[in-house]
Order: sequence, then C-alpha cells, then structure tokens
Amino acid sequence: MDTQSYMPVPPGVGMEENFFSLDDILLSHERLPCRTDTAFPKLGFLEKSSETHDIPEGTKMEMPLWLAKGLYERKRHVISVDLPKVYREGWRTVFGADANVVDLHKMGPYYYGLGSQMLHFENAENPEIAQSILQTFIGRFRRTMDSSQNAYNEDTSALLERLDFLERALFRSGQNGLNAFQLWERGRASQLTASNLVTNYRKRKITELQS
Amino acid sequence: MADALSEASELSGGEESQEEDVLTPAELIARLEEAWLNEKFSPELLENKSELVECVMEQLTHMEENLQRVRKGDLKASVHRMEIDRIRFVLSSYLRSRLQKIEKFFPHVLEKEKSRADGDPSFLSPEEFAFAKEYLANTEVYLKAVALRHMPPNLQSVDMLKAVPEPCLDSFVFLRVKERQENILVEPETDEQREYVVDLEEGSQHLMRYRTIAPLVASGAVQLI
Amino acid sequence: MFCEKAVELVRELHRMSDGQLPAFNEDGIRQVLEEMKALYEQNQSDVNEAKTEGKTELIPTVKFRHCCLLRNQRCIAAYLYDRLLRIRALRWEYGSVLPTTIRFHMCAEELEWFNQYKKSLATYMRSLGGEEGLDITQDMKPPKSLYIEVRCLKDHGEFEIDDGTVILLKKNSQHFLPRWKCEQLIRQGVLEHVIS
Repeated sequence: MDTQSYMPVPPGVGMEENFFSLDDILLSHERLPCRTDTAFPKLGFLEKSSETHDIPEGTKMEMPLWLAKGLYERKRHVISVDLPKVYREGWRTVFGADANVVDLHKMGPYYYGLGSQMLHFENAENPEIAQSILQTFIGRFRRTMDSSQNAYNEDTSALLERLDFLERALFRSGQNGLNAFQLWERGRASQLTASNLVTNYRKRKITELQS
Repeated sequence: MADALSEASELSGGEESQEEDVLTPAELIARLEEAWLNEKFSPELLENKSELVECVMEQLTHMEENLQRVRKGDLKASVHRMEIDRIRFVLSSYLRSRLQKIEKFFPHVLEKEKSRADGDPSFLSPEEFAFAKEYLANTEVYLKAVALRHMPPNLQSVDMLKAVPEPCLDSFVFLRVKERQENILVEPETDEQREYVVDLEEGSQHLMRYRTIAPLVASGAVQLI
Repeated sequence: MFCEKAVELVRELHRMSDGQLPAFNEDGIRQVLEEMKALYEQNQSDVNEAKTEGKTELIPTVKFRHCCLLRNQRCIAAYLYDRLLRIRALRWEYGSVLPTTIRFHMCAEELEWFNQYKKSLATYMRSLGGEEGLDITQDMKPPKSLYIEVRCLKDHGEFEIDDGTVILLKKNSQHFLPRWKCEQLIRQGVLEHVIS
C-alpha cells in the first residue's frame, strides 16, 4: 500500500549497519564488556571508578558497540571485546533447549542485531554464535507469525512483551497485513480515510490544550 | 506514437513487429498493468517506460474528449468516467512507485545513470532524472547549511552513496512465468546447500529471490505478482 | 561518555515512530557541535604533541576521540535526514500548504528544503502528458465508484464541483460528491467518507 508516506531508513541486513537508520544508531548504542589492550592517556575521567588521568592498559570497562567497532583492530591490540552473557555457551544451551520460553526483550532487546554485530570481532565461538542466533530465530518465528495473525482487534502488549526488536517489527507487519485483509473482507479497503499524520497531530493538539 | 508502440511490442518479445500498428487500447492498458505490478513489487527501480506512459496519457485525453460528446446523465457516460478514473489510478500508482524508489535510492539511481554506456536504455525518464538531481542537490545543501558546515574541516561532508542504503536485491518476490525458462541458477540458502538449477514452466508461479530473476523481469519473461 | 547528547536527538525522533515532526531541536544540535569542536581541538593539540615530541602513546586517545567525532556526525546527519523524510511525508498527506503549527516545528533550512521539494515535484507532475500534467498525489486508492457519500467534520465554506455547481460544506452536513474532488479534503480531515 502506498498510503503511508513516512518511510524511515530501515536497519541494515545481517552484519551491515545503515548509516542513516535510527534503529541501527540505537542498536550500536548497546554496551559491550571490553578490556583495553593499550593505555588511553588523558581519558581517565571517562572511567568513573578510577581517579587517574589515563585509562591504563588492562582496564575492564563497558563500551558502546559503535566505539568498540571503531577502536577494534584485528592485527593491533587496542581493545578486546568480550561476549555479552546471552551469546555465551551457557545461554546458548538454554536457547537450544527451548527458545520460546526466553524473554528476548529483557535479554535484548536487540538480541539478533547485536549478535550479528558481534561477528565483527574475532572470536573462536563465532560459528556457534551465528548458528545459535539463526536457530533461535527459526524456533521462535512460527509463534511470532501465528500470534500476529490471530490477534485481531485486541490488546497486543502482552504478546509483544517478550519479543526482540526484529520480532516486533515482523509482528507489526503481520498485523498490518491482517488488518488490511479484514478491511478488504468487509468491503472497506477502498474507503478514503484521513491521513494518520493529520489525525495524530490533531490528537496531540487536543491533549496539549487539555493539559 | 509509433515509437511507443514498437517499444510496447518489444516487451512481448519483439517478434510481432509487423503488428505494431494494431495495439488496441485494451492491449495498451494491459501493458500498463504489467509495468505497474512489476514496478510495485520489484525492490529496485526498473527501466522507464515513458513512451508507454505518454500513450496512456493520450488515451486518457482522448477518452475525456469522447466523454464531452456523450449526453449528460447517459449511463454510458458514467461507465466511461469510471474507466478513466481506474486507468488514472493505475498510472498514478505506477509513477508514484517509481518516484518513491527514486527518492529512497537517489544517490545509487544517479550513479547507475552516470555509469550507463551510451546507447544503453536509461532507467530514468528525462523528467525523473531532473527530479533526482534536484533531490540530491536540495538534500546536500540542507545538510551542509544546518550542520555540516559547522563541523570540523574533515567532517564537513557525508558520502551519500555510502549513507543512503541500496535496494535489497535479495528480497523475495512472487512471480508468474510468461515464457518457459530453462536452467535458472538458484543460489544456496544455507551453507549446507549447493546451488542448483530449475526450469520455470509457462504459467507456473514461484516465490524467489529477486536477484535470481531480475533479468527475466527486465526482458518480460516473468511477471511479478 | 561522549556522544550522549547526539544519541538523545536520535531517540527523540525514534519515539515518534508514526512520522510526526517534533520541534527542531536547535539547542541539542548546538550542544553536539560544541562537543565536536572541543574533541577536534584536543585532537589537534595531541596530534601536534605526538609529532613534535614523539609521544606516540597519544595515538590511541586521538583515535578514540576521532571515533566520537564520527559518531556525532552520524547522529546529527541521521537526525536531519530522518526529519526530511517526515517533511516529505507532509507534502503527500497535507498538500503543498502546511498548517502553521507544523511550520512552527521546522527550522528555516527545512522550510527551504520543503519549498524546493514542492517545486521539483510540481515540475515533474506538470511534465506528465497533456497541458495540465497529472497530479500523482491524488488517486491513492483504487476507485470503486464515481460518487461517494461524505460527512462534513468542520465548516469549510463553499466548494465547487466539476459542473460548476457550488455547495456549502457545513459541519455535520452530508453530501454525495465526485470521489476525486474529495480525496484531499478527506485526507486533511475536513470530510469523512461514509460507507453504509
């Protein structure tokens, strides 16, 4: 349908990031456990626990993904990046047993996105991580799809609660399809409607007036 | 007109070049619908069909004129009016999908146009080309004026080709086969799979990666649905 | 940590996922630009120090700051670009004249971009066949009938239909009108399409 005029830049696919994507910018703000393999003079103030002028070599600190990606080099030792817990063997076993019981929103909410990004850093476990992410997705997809097709005209917040960011997007697109189909079935697909933007601006104006 | 018609007959394989003069209005609209569905469902911008668009516009004007001659309140008039509205919808929707893709992928669309060899057909109509160039210039001027010029000297530009994403040719599309195809190479989906070849029977329908069948969409051998 | 202000700009837009345009955050942009200026100046002086005094141990710090500069640039560019996509949507949903409340949310350069966009689009549409061209911002849904039943949601004044008849669009009045004449008014929320 070409009735929705605002089309944001979508997040990148797989290991890619889209420069202009707001989703990818927020994903790359996720923090990773890192260790410095060299000293960073004059930047000690960024490390709350230390009072020193520099960040010494061997400091354990959390860094956002974008910074870790920028500093990381395969050949030279600048920083090393640790796996967040959800991608380690222990959790991989849990996901392998039954991925459906896990609250991926709490564990994520960018479980798939961040997992794919982790493959940028050299790690012996990378093939297992990639496999585990894929299997988790496959294992949960059926349920995400079914629930998005069966919830019509009801509060979906409970269904969305435990979904990862990517799964939520899929759920929403399933819901859009379902709603469009229902409209068509009731002969309303051709009804002309006010633009969502217009209605929402109006709603906001009214709440502003009331408050 | 004759050019457009011969272009239209090329769409169907080009063998009927003697018949180019007998493209009926119904056939013209059928071509428009094919172009519309292909454009709507393909992730990338397809080759422009501006001569087809021109023909349809002429047809619409022609129909409007005819309508003026019909008595008011005549049942025939409203049937014709409805037909005009429908054709105008398809045409607008077709041009809209194109413009949307031009706006979404403008740096890549322009780059492709730049690297096009002389004599190769252009993907953009001259008007679309002008629009895309203005869109790029307008956007670059804006980014520069609001923020980039206030940034340190080495950060005052953004490479639009890298910043604006490319169309995702790996998306899957539904298609119907118009001309039988043999030995289409299908890329593997997983590491364990090998690539394999398929034959596409005329009239059969498939769900495939766009990249695999993009040349067949361009040649008109398959129709996206 | 650096770049917190920049990501705050992005969050601000991301929260309004339906495409509404929040007020242009001039202050937020200014703060990010200031942080960038400071980072750049520190890097300049450290690069000098590294060169003249051979202090190569400063290089990781320079690189660290450079990453932050790139991140700030990306956040601002993405903030601005996403706003353009929202402003573009306004042209398609409201038409070429925007309500003042929305114009109020745009900075001068954004208004300029909008005007340019409007102009390019008009030129393009005029070029499509015939003398008048073709308005492709209309006919957003396939037509089912020539005339449709509409209810007036607010007073809009006089309105001329094809054959020259003028009707009065008064709040709560109901009319049977040519569909293509109503599309824009329905999108703007002046009329409502009634389906029995």
